[in-house]
Amino acid sequence: MLPNRSRTSVLVFLLPPLLLYCAAVLFPILQSLFLSFFSWNGISDMEFVGLANYVRMLTADDIFWRSFFNALIYLAICLVLQLGGALVVASLLTSLRRGRELIKTLYLLPAVISTVAIAFLFVRIYSIDPVGLLNQLLHWVGLGSFERAWLSDVNTVLAAVSAPEGWRFTGLYMLIIYAALIAVPKELEEAAVLDGASKWTLFTKIRFPYIRPVWITTTIMATTYGLRGFDIPYLMTNGGPGQSSELLTTYMYKTAFTSTDFGYASTISVFIVIECLVAVGLILFMLKRKADS
Amino acid sequence: MIAQTAPVHATPTTRPPAPVPKRRRRKPSLYRTLSRVLIMLIVIVQVYPLAWLFLTSLRTEQDFATGDPFALPSSLTWENYARAFETGDLGRNILNSFIVTMGANVLIVLLGMMAAYAIQVLGFRFSKFVRGLFLVGIIVPVQIALVPLFIDYSTVNLLDTYQSMIIPLAGFALPMSIYLFSSFFEYIPRETYEAASLDGAGPYRIFGLITLPLSLNTVVTVILVNSIFIWNDFIFANTFVLSEELKTIPLGLQNYIGAMGKVDWTATFAAVCVTITPLLLVFLVLNKAMIQGLESGANKG
Repeated sequence: MLPNRSRTSVLVFLLPPLLLYCAAVLFPILQSLFLSFFSWNGISDMEFVGLANYVRMLTADDIFWRSFFNALIYLAICLVLQLGGALVVASLLTSLRRGRELIKTLYLLPAVISTVAIAFLFVRIYSIDPVGLLNQLLHWVGLGSFERAWLSDVNTVLAAVSAPEGWRFTGLYMLIIYAALIAVPKELEEAAVLDGASKWTLFTKIRFPYIRPVWITTTIMATTYGLRGFDIPYLMTNGGPGQSSELLTTYMYKTAFTSTDFGYASTISVFIVIECLVAVGLILFMLKRKADS
Repeated sequence: MIAQTAPVHATPTTRPPAPVPKRRRRKPSLYRTLSRVLIMLIVIVQVYPLAWLFLTSLRTEQDFATGDPFALPSSLTWENYARAFETGDLGRNILNSFIVTMGANVLIVLLGMMAAYAIQVLGFRFSKFVRGLFLVGIIVPVQIALVPLFIDYSTVNLLDTYQSMIIPLAGFALPMSIYLFSSFFEYIPRETYEAASLDGAGPYRIFGLITLPLSLNTVVTVILVNSIFIWNDFIFANTFVLSEELKTIPLGLQNYIGAMGKVDWTATFAAVCVTITPLLLVFLVLNKAMIQGLESGANKG
């Protein structure tokens, strides 16, 4: 603490940021919680309905559950592409002698591009008429039977809208993990190599435990970003065909701004927040416990 | 946030390229060759779509509709760019994105620094609690704010303004900014402050004369990292902005979807190329600083 600070000076520095944060983040959270107990279309009077929205969401809304499970699959695909891809590339990169900086830059490139542009790009990559990149590639390697309109097929659409999100940010997580990997003390690795450790043992016994704290942070980042994924599915398919690529976020958005059912939409967004908190709690619980054992 | 326990405080880019021990000199090992090939493949997957985007923007419509997508364009044309500028108001969109990005960044940097200063340097009784309150904002998804803000904006007539985008963008980025600034302020030695205090400097002068000038590097980091997300923001702009004059790049691009859902793809790709250029240039020029920022940011928190 600074010796001659005054109460006013603390307030002068603290109040403006706190005000913005309350206006944009904290107050809206409370407001959503409040609205979730009402039925309201934005025009007529608000009607208090108690827990009815929650009961409807959890017991009577098939689309909600469909979106929930879709969101979990979307999250799983994003996590595999982002964290798995990031870990593999970061490890490979440490064995490279030259060109690391160049590869880092190239790898991060998609993260700079807006989701609208990415959605346009991937619509063309998946398209069948005119033949897009993916179908052409399948044709060349002799898997022509798999050619299809990826975004209109109910079996492939969810994976097809998840992949661009994974593709986009894998470079970001790679950078973070790479920075952690090259901070692993060289003496540790060399000692292990002298003892005859294989590449795999080196990774599982020395490197990974060392970067575990960073791994926890990245997992939390990727998970919370995955759970709030919205732009790409919304822009590419708007949840369709049917509900086959509907996520909780796109469902919430449509409930709010297409059906103008503000109360029910707030109920869904409260659920999304709880889901994020639970996910972070679970990650901390699982990864921390493993670290202790 | 969590990784305060992290043993790594990344300073990777400042050290020379990590010396690789010479143990593998004997043979060009299979492992090394394999990993090179794999890296090349992955980099191609990351970069090729973008190169393709650019090539397509130079194709004739005819060539695009019929040709093999992997083939090089049979002839190059700038016509798509002309059509792109005719269809939309790209200059306006870029200007709007610029205004929103600047506005939000000013708030994020200034307020983030102030809050971190109050919490980390000045200190007060409930500072731990306030810090925790801010950190919750890192986890909370932005979608929760859409309905409440939409309602609040319409009561105070803020819908369809620059502020309607800037406020939530800055608010949701504030926690990370506060976190980065407080982790940096930890490294400023207490003695510096105590010496200044003995010389009679109050908290305001210390902020202006010591803390602010010392944290310029962190300011750059915070701005670079946030600009990527703010420049490309879609959800707030899409929810709160309706009028053409205020549309940012992501919304402007949507105008290229024609009335009947028919898309002039080559012109659209030309527009995409135009709109990603500003940020791409900044990224390529400053990529060292940006990469360092991203690495250190997350490895600290």
